[in-house]
Amino acid sequence: MTERIKSLLERTFDKEQRKFRRDVDWKPLLERFIADGIDDEARARIGLVEMLKAETPAFMDGERLAFLRTVRGIPDLHSDAEMDARRAAGTAFGEKGVVFNLTADFGPTIRDGLDARLAEISTRIEQAKAANDAEGVGFLENAALSTRAVLDLSDRYRAAAEERGLSEIAATLAQVPHKGARSFHEALQALRILHYAMWCEGEYHCGLGRIDQYLLPYFEADIAAGRLTEETALEELEEFFIACNRDSDLYIGVQQGDNGQSVMLGGVTRDGRPAFNALSRLCLKACGELKLVDPKINLRVDRSTPLEVYKLGTELTAKGLGFPQYANDDVVIPALQRWGYELEDARDYSVAACWEFLVPGCGMDINNIDAVSFVGSLDAALRTMVGRSPRDRRGGQGAGRPTIVYEDVEAKFLAEIQRRADALVEKYRHVEILPGPFVSVISMDCIANARDICKGAKYNNFGIHGTGIAVAVDSLASVRELVFERKLVSLDELVHLLDTDFEGRPDILAAAKAAPKMGNADTRVDEIARRVIAFWGHVFDGRKNGRGGVFRPGTGSAMYYIWHAREVPASADGRLRGEPLSANWAPALDVPVKGPVSVVRSFTEPDLGPVCNGGPLTIEIHDSAFAMPDGVEKVAHLVKFFIERGGHQLQINTINRETLLDAQAHPERHRHLIVRVWGWSGYFIELDKEYQDQIIKRVELK
Amino acid sequence: MKSGRVFEIREFTLHDGPGVRTTVFFKGCPLRCAWCHNPEGQSFEIETIHVKTSVGSRVSRDRIVGQDWTADALATELLRNADIMAQSGGGVTFSGGEPLAQAEFLLELMPLLKEKEVHLAIETGGHVPHETYRRVVSRMDFVYQDLKLLDAAAFKRWTGGDLDIVLENVSWLRGSGVPFVFRVPCIPGVNDDAASRAAFDAFADGARIEYLPYNAAAGAKYPMLGRIFPMATLG
Repeated sequence: MTERIKSLLERTFDKEQRKFRRDVDWKPLLERFIADGIDDEARARIGLVEMLKAETPAFMDGERLAFLRTVRGIPDLHSDAEMDARRAAGTAFGEKGVVFNLTADFGPTIRDGLDARLAEISTRIEQAKAANDAEGVGFLENAALSTRAVLDLSDRYRAAAEERGLSEIAATLAQVPHKGARSFHEALQALRILHYAMWCEGEYHCGLGRIDQYLLPYFEADIAAGRLTEETALEELEEFFIACNRDSDLYIGVQQGDNGQSVMLGGVTRDGRPAFNALSRLCLKACGELKLVDPKINLRVDRSTPLEVYKLGTELTAKGLGFPQYANDDVVIPALQRWGYELEDARDYSVAACWEFLVPGCGMDINNIDAVSFVGSLDAALRTMVGRSPRDRRGGQGAGRPTIVYEDVEAKFLAEIQRRADALVEKYRHVEILPGPFVSVISMDCIANARDICKGAKYNNFGIHGTGIAVAVDSLASVRELVFERKLVSLDELVHLLDTDFEGRPDILAAAKAAPKMGNADTRVDEIARRVIAFWGHVFDGRKNGRGGVFRPGTGSAMYYIWHAREVPASADGRLRGEPLSANWAPALDVPVKGPVSVVRSFTEPDLGPVCNGGPLTIEIHDSAFAMPDGVEKVAHLVKFFIERGGHQLQINTINRETLLDAQAHPERHRHLIVRVWGWSGYFIELDKEYQDQIIKRVELK
Repeated sequence: MKSGRVFEIREFTLHDGPGVRTTVFFKGCPLRCAWCHNPEGQSFEIETIHVKTSVGSRVSRDRIVGQDWTADALATELLRNADIMAQSGGGVTFSGGEPLAQAEFLLELMPLLKEKEVHLAIETGGHVPHETYRRVVSRMDFVYQDLKLLDAAAFKRWTGGDLDIVLENVSWLRGSGVPFVFRVPCIPGVNDDAASRAAFDAFADGARIEYLPYNAAAGAKYPMLGRIFPMATLG
């Protein structure tokens, strides 16, 4: 790492960039929107224009890539009351309603420049006018004004740079983003501006996508021309990565670090050739040197990926960054094809933010629109079987009923999953997305179609998470063993014990905890998982969403693992009331497992293709694993093993429980400590205690 | 058919040989090293570990240590991971306790694993009759031979064993052609001084030797077994 980068890194960590910030009172703008009845598209455009106008060019000493957020908050475009009224009138929104969890099509605009987009817009406006397409004209006008606002700020940056004698920045901004980038440096500067502008427009969880693909031509040309060496290219990349950490505390997320600045490396090209290249390698190296939470690195691999690539990835894991997260092309590409993605697009996949698979530029998928609680479904199913609701605590009567068998319980559970899935299909019949004129300009086909991306892109699918799958499957195994095989309790008694948190029956609680658990390569429970996943994978077959897309079930939990845990009492696997669920596709917490090989074996037993919305297996590895020189190679073999067994997605957390406990007690000593939370890495000390505790619990007794 | 008594089968052990490995910890040991950090591996009997749980916890974490396996059953269990062992050039490591104290069982188990080309390693104190040592160790792919003390009186005092038995086996090991490394647990106040280090280096005589740092938490499991950590009183 060069001295310049070291200094930028330290000052970014010390939050020097925050000294440039100020607050703007955006309330009057919102009041004007409401009073004047301004429409959504105009609001989005005006919001961006005003936001960028309020920005003041600012530079950190020693930087070569400009653009820094100086206004803390972005304008609210709609009041809560307005949004509530629309919801009440039957419109559903994904989260906040705006475009989010999306990766724009950065490559073409880096290549062509925004002036070229403006030229296309002017041509297209004439056509739209000729065709009396008022909606199209409206969109294109807003798109042009939004684009000009971005260019205006860029011009102000250029002037300010000139004024301060920052001639290199001024020269770069004389080229990009107006015109196409001619060098790796210009390409990075253009990317920084486009990405920055998305956040200012109100989009969030803005991914960066396949930077090792769309930046490759500039990198290769510069290397070939001798303008760049591997060392100087590394420095460029490192500066860009540091920049991703400057404004990130202003980005919307459930927790600090949950900002979706994901990068996808490797995989195959659109025509199917291996895509892991010298730039991919350099990205891994830059991350390893910087040890920052952003950008979050994803690495696409497949059966043919050599061990050496896994070792490069594992070297990052060893540094405790919680990434790379691996995605398996052998599973994901065919899965996307089954959902209707064209082969070339499927080969071009990235992740939306955390882990939901998305094709940058042409996907307006809402990848996490909702979740089905597997623990909630089982709880409900058990209660219908004994004829009791959660509020009814009276003893159940089993006499006189036909004898039930375990298979009835499983069938009831699956029926409940289906019922909840169908309810979601209904709930999201009419989903609207609020417009993003600028992000539309840098996404595929919007100008040609003369429509905002919010009206739909090439792909408009919805992703549905499945939460607490392991806990539910373990609970089924426990019900089978305790109620039907060993007959220790009746189903009625068991449900009563769930309500009373196993009070007075430590023997049943112990038996529940001792029942087979996922993560031990135990067929008694893994075969249940296999059936449950097979069912979940097809639960939305034949259903369309209101935007013409399909529903994609997944094994992710996002933040639902915290929320859904609160909705159920104890569960039959021995999880007590209030104890958290495991995040994503992972063994239940507190479950003794034989080790990571068995965990991989259990969790790759089901066919994961049909549940490929995303949601990784998360494995915690103690940091001492990397104390031995061959630790990296062994962990790399574990990842390779997961991929070869048909796993879809994997993240590995290097963790030391004592360190985490110490960090809770003495946060000031651990400000660099990074952990993987659900689909992203964050600084441990910045997380709420509930999330910290869940992570500590993950590593207990393992 | 012999049965083997095992107190733990640990997957993905990272310090016990090449590749992805499973380590089998055999129960029972002829030595009583005062610093032993696996006291549940000393007795040949099945025992209960009493684990204190946090206040308010309603689940006992007590567990039985020691399980008897037939060679067939244990081989089947270990070979479940044969795929990743083959992929990574890994295998199985026998540890303990003292695995060679159950040599007849090992001799039944080993061919079942070798049949599947599993790399075999052993970690031993070498305190077993020479014939036993030779029969098993000669079939190993790799040996971790512990060296604790090189003075017979000190060895007796700290481990309860007879150093000559170990030396005879080590002398054979050096010429056996079986790849090995000496492992020395560095115990403060026992063998971690410069003179001991020099003596170990001289004894190794060019053979590979690893010095393992003392684990400060070594005594943690004694109270769970209702025992007192000998280092606490002997030191």
